[in-house]
Amino acid sequence: MNPHASMIITLSLIMGPLITISSNHWILAWTGLEISTLAITPLIAKQHHPRAIEATIKYFLTQATASTLILSSSIINAWTLGQWDITQMSNNTSCAILTTALAIKLGLAPFHFWLPEVLQGTSTTTALILTTWQKLAPLSLLVMTTQSLNTPLLLLLGLMSTLVGGWGGLNQPQLRKIMAFSSIAHLGWMITIITFSPKLMLLTFYTYITMTTAMFLMIKLLETNKISMMMTSWTKLPTLNTIMILILMSLAGLPPLTGFMPKWLILQELTKQHMFIIATMMALLSLLSLFFYLRISYCATITLPPNSTNYLQQWRHKTNQKPYLAPMATLSITLLPITPTLLTLL
Amino acid sequence: MTPLHFSYLSAFIVSIMGLSLHRTYLISTLLCLESMMLSMFIALSMWPIQLQTSSFMLTPMLMLSFSACEAGTGLSLLVASSRTHGSDHLQNLNLLQC
Repeated sequence: MNPHASMIITLSLIMGPLITISSNHWILAWTGLEISTLAITPLIAKQHHPRAIEATIKYFLTQATASTLILSSSIINAWTLGQWDITQMSNNTSCAILTTALAIKLGLAPFHFWLPEVLQGTSTTTALILTTWQKLAPLSLLVMTTQSLNTPLLLLLGLMSTLVGGWGGLNQPQLRKIMAFSSIAHLGWMITIITFSPKLMLLTFYTYITMTTAMFLMIKLLETNKISMMMTSWTKLPTLNTIMILILMSLAGLPPLTGFMPKWLILQELTKQHMFIIATMMALLSLLSLFFYLRISYCATITLPPNSTNYLQQWRHKTNQKPYLAPMATLSITLLPITPTLLTLL
Repeated sequence: MTPLHFSYLSAFIVSIMGLSLHRTYLISTLLCLESMMLSMFIALSMWPIQLQTSSFMLTPMLMLSFSACEAGTGLSLLVASSRTHGSDHLQNLNLLQC
């Protein structure tokens, strides 16, 4: 890409969510959302093959519709209350429209259909940006309006997302689609807890960003995009293959790893609020996600010698070691012992 | 609800229904997006006129410039899809659903 164009795209990609986070006025928040949507669009469409164009069209249509819905909800709120403050969104209609629009933007369960397909059509780096940095602005809007949001609606969205995120990834051979469904499931956990404790939701979001970044960097480094290609990944970087299994278990939320921390705290908070049924359902639904993470780990480990692989060896490119993969992998494995520190920091 | 509010809301609802229910061509989807934006332009320009706050007079222009950017992006995607898929039928966009 042209260096000027890529500089402008990168700058506005960074600026857009930052404008939304730091804004106090609905127009400015909407401006930030629009800037980030318009900036990521050329990045998705950069490779001019039909799949990239299709992914761009799907992404653009959903995001544009969601941002118009956000603006219309704020206009309705301004008509009834006469002000544009984000934190004082107390009209019920506009709150419901806003929640729906942000669910479309994030890819929550009844509106999730665009996310796996868009991730499948892009490169791994763009998919990483889409699943981490682009979620920041809508989630920050949800945190800012958290006093006036409708709790049963959010609980329904969260439960459905956890269900769909686990269910959709079960029969999926493509790694990026699996990561999309894992992203939907994690967002479901975040949305469930958001009205009870926004701090906990932020903690979940940070750990989710760390684990997803580590996993996407790993996928990019190993150049695998299907589960069956994982079978030969141990021949490239054996140590990294072992660490990848740990990261996958951390995404699934198994105890000695980082991913257990948000799930543990969320279940504790839900139990404190006397929502035993929802806590039980969330815990059981995360088993579905555990199944497909285990399937990836199985394919990555089970074909070590003396067994023979039933997948062809890939062509070996010269791999550049990513310097930020090591801290991300370390953080996504070992953060559980400092949970109290993290809770006081937030 | 005043007639102005009613006309804005009905225009917005009709255009979002068109966006979500009439799914044959990409160009009609883009037109529906644009009509949503224009109805919001009317709403945003009504607000400062009714409340007589002159500091908000420029926000419809800001919104209109962003909607022009969006329309430009949408039309460029229309060109790109007609180059890669041969047409702008939304049914042709089915490569990624496996």
